[in-house]
Amino acid sequence: MSGVPFSPRRVGLIAQNTLRDAARQKLFHFFLLLALALVVGARWLRDFNFGAPELKFLADCGFGAMALFGAALMITATAQLFCGESESRTVETVLAKPVWRAEFVLGKFLGAIAVAAIFCVTLTVALAAVLWWREGELARDYPEAFAAGRQVSYANLWLAGWLHWLRLVVLGGLVLLVASYARTQLFAVAMGFLVWAICQFQALAHDAYARSSSAAARAVGAGIAVLFPNFQLFTLADGLAAADAPPVLAVVRVTAYALLYAAAGAALAIFSFRRREL
Amino acid sequence: MNSRIIAFVTIVGVQALAGALANRIAAPTWAAQRAREPALELPAGVAAGQGATLAMLGGFRGLAADAAWLELQAAWETRDLAATDTLVRLVPAIDPRPVYFWLNGARIVANDLPAWRIEAEGGYAAVPAARHEEIEREQARLALAQLDRALAFHPHNAELRIERANIELVRLGDTAAAAEDYRRAAEQPGAPYYAARLHAEMLRRLGRRAEALAWLVQIHPALPRDEPAAEAELVLARIRALERELGVPAERSYRPAR
Amino acid sequence: MNTPAVAPVGVAAIELRGVVKDFAVGLRGVKVRAVDAVTLRVEPGQVYSLLGPNGSGKSTTIKLVLGLLEPTAGTCAIFGVPSGRVEARREVGYAPESPAFYRYLTGRELVRFCGKLCGLGGRELERRTSDVLASVGLAEAADRKLGLYSKGMLQRVGVAQALVHDPRLLILDEPTAGVDPAGAAEMGELILKLKAQGRTVLVTSHLLGQIEEVCDRVAILDRGRLALEGTMDELLGRAGRQSLVVESLSPAQLEELRAWLAARGRALEAVETPRARLEQLYLARVKRKDAP
Repeated sequence: MSGVPFSPRRVGLIAQNTLRDAARQKLFHFFLLLALALVVGARWLRDFNFGAPELKFLADCGFGAMALFGAALMITATAQLFCGESESRTVETVLAKPVWRAEFVLGKFLGAIAVAAIFCVTLTVALAAVLWWREGELARDYPEAFAAGRQVSYANLWLAGWLHWLRLVVLGGLVLLVASYARTQLFAVAMGFLVWAICQFQALAHDAYARSSSAAARAVGAGIAVLFPNFQLFTLADGLAAADAPPVLAVVRVTAYALLYAAAGAALAIFSFRRREL
Repeated sequence: MNSRIIAFVTIVGVQALAGALANRIAAPTWAAQRAREPALELPAGVAAGQGATLAMLGGFRGLAADAAWLELQAAWETRDLAATDTLVRLVPAIDPRPVYFWLNGARIVANDLPAWRIEAEGGYAAVPAARHEEIEREQARLALAQLDRALAFHPHNAELRIERANIELVRLGDTAAAAEDYRRAAEQPGAPYYAARLHAEMLRRLGRRAEALAWLVQIHPALPRDEPAAEAELVLARIRALERELGVPAERSYRPAR
Repeated sequence: MNTPAVAPVGVAAIELRGVVKDFAVGLRGVKVRAVDAVTLRVEPGQVYSLLGPNGSGKSTTIKLVLGLLEPTAGTCAIFGVPSGRVEARREVGYAPESPAFYRYLTGRELVRFCGKLCGLGGRELERRTSDVLASVGLAEAADRKLGLYSKGMLQRVGVAQALVHDPRLLILDEPTAGVDPAGAAEMGELILKLKAQGRTVLVTSHLLGQIEEVCDRVAILDRGRLALEGTMDELLGRAGRQSLVVESLSPAQLEELRAWLAARGRALEAVETPRARLEQLYLARVKRKDAP
């Protein structure tokens, strides 16, 4: 009997199936609607009277929703799409077919990041629409403040959406690694949120330990800095104005940073899952 | 060795290697980003735990700063001196990117807080004039320090320079310092035209009319004629007034290129 | 359904040799033996049943066969290919016990997905998907979400996805668990149909009566060990005994028969009134709503 080569087609099939399954789940709709409500609803928070910087507030709401609900979605979706399959034993059905475990893990990962992509694109479009509309209203009310034209750089907004998605990709890789050895979905979700919190505070923790006089503490700081990605890097394009746009090289570097961490997470998840007993 | 231990060591090792490589790639970007971020040591009097936690929340930093700004507005409306004083420094510490926070914070420190402090000490009638002046100068210096911190993050921002000059002029009566800051503001890209005119005006008040004239003659050719805010005609009128005051002969007077 | 390819002569459909499986339990990794030195061989074309109480190691053995678990010792092979290799699963269809599957997919989407994973595509995939769904009685429910399927329907769609790529070996883990008697009877008929097509079937079930009717060979596992193994006749046949079913005899006729037998050196050991089987009675009265 001849061998069965690794097949990108099967990876694509599993990813497509994962995306289709996730997109029909209430959890995905819940997070998406909640985030959309925050983005669109921010416009009607009349108490938040910022005058012209109101646009900044709207953008902050959008990016905050993308970061918070995106992380919650990514953690729960990755854990559910992976551990849920073990718990429901769907994984046995798939792996009882001529499918490599690596194909299964990669398919799940690509499916999860496709879910995150839909989430980020939807929110970025909604945010851009809200900002465009409100900016038009403000320009009519305060023409002098908009004498130089529109203040919001929509190219920057898309760049921010890209970076937010990259952050979710990195998070997905890490949660996948956790899920590849987790026995229960609950454990994977709890660990996922812990990892997310560490990544959010990675820079702070690293600095705090680095300043310590104890060699052990400095080693801990160095360990945190290499084991966990720094999520602060992905706020690079959160400014609204064209002047706030980061240099192209910086975006390329952050993209490479994210892809490297995500690739490591996925590769290690494959390594961890390759001999897992189902 | 137990296979689980081998697997764990492999995972940690590979992740650390990938992380070290990724950190090398992103190091210049992170260094540049840090230079634009607030120092983790927050100003004295600020609840460091709260501030640091909020400041480091990454994606929520902007939102956290907005929320703190709203809190500042509420404190300002109720004239809560202590809370306003704290929040005015906390907000830009959480998110130093919006110039709006720095600018309006400095205005509150320079213009509102002196009045509240005087009221807290018994009101304008009860507090001696010397004390008024002392409080106003103290607050003005605090506002200038706030603007200096802002300029460290936004070195080319003209609005911050103009605000600095305004405080120096109005609160400290330091016309020379104001003249210098108006000039530096006028030299920034996208600076409002009036900054340059105010620099000339400050020089005139200081009795340095020749310098004022030279400055106006220098800026006038670049003023767009079709831009009302540029006030090219007004600048030309001031040039003529200064030429008269300085007795500049007609043949040496400024002739705009037309 | 296509006629499956003939296995090379002498190559077993499934072969386990001295298979041991230990699981590490708890933080200290205490070893628990789930399968203990099991050796068995399933020939191509056989219907083979694994029997045993809960926890006897049936499901673990099936997972070892499928390569979902790695044996602690011993070897497993499918059509001569070690179970750990992906190609070993090319000719296998597996229907797990109490499957959940993807709740938000329809039955057709699931079967189509499984077919694609096995390399099917185009018209062939559509034809096979419709055929196998019809063969398990799910033609009408094919476009309904799996979350709305009953337990029995899930078992049947599990069999459908296992059959979609026309495998030579079918492994059914408790295919009748939670299924009503009519469904269980249909599953029995399906197994016989697969056998008639020359396929090999490995099945575990708690319905011993049904197993007796469809299987060629059984293995009984007890606490991970192979307690008994053989053909149905070897295990159940009582040599030197026969039973006759006749119309009712009067007491006098019965005495006459006894005397007739005694004259020939034979004894009448038991006289009983035969009863119809409850399952047959049930099936005669109940017609399945979703029967094909």
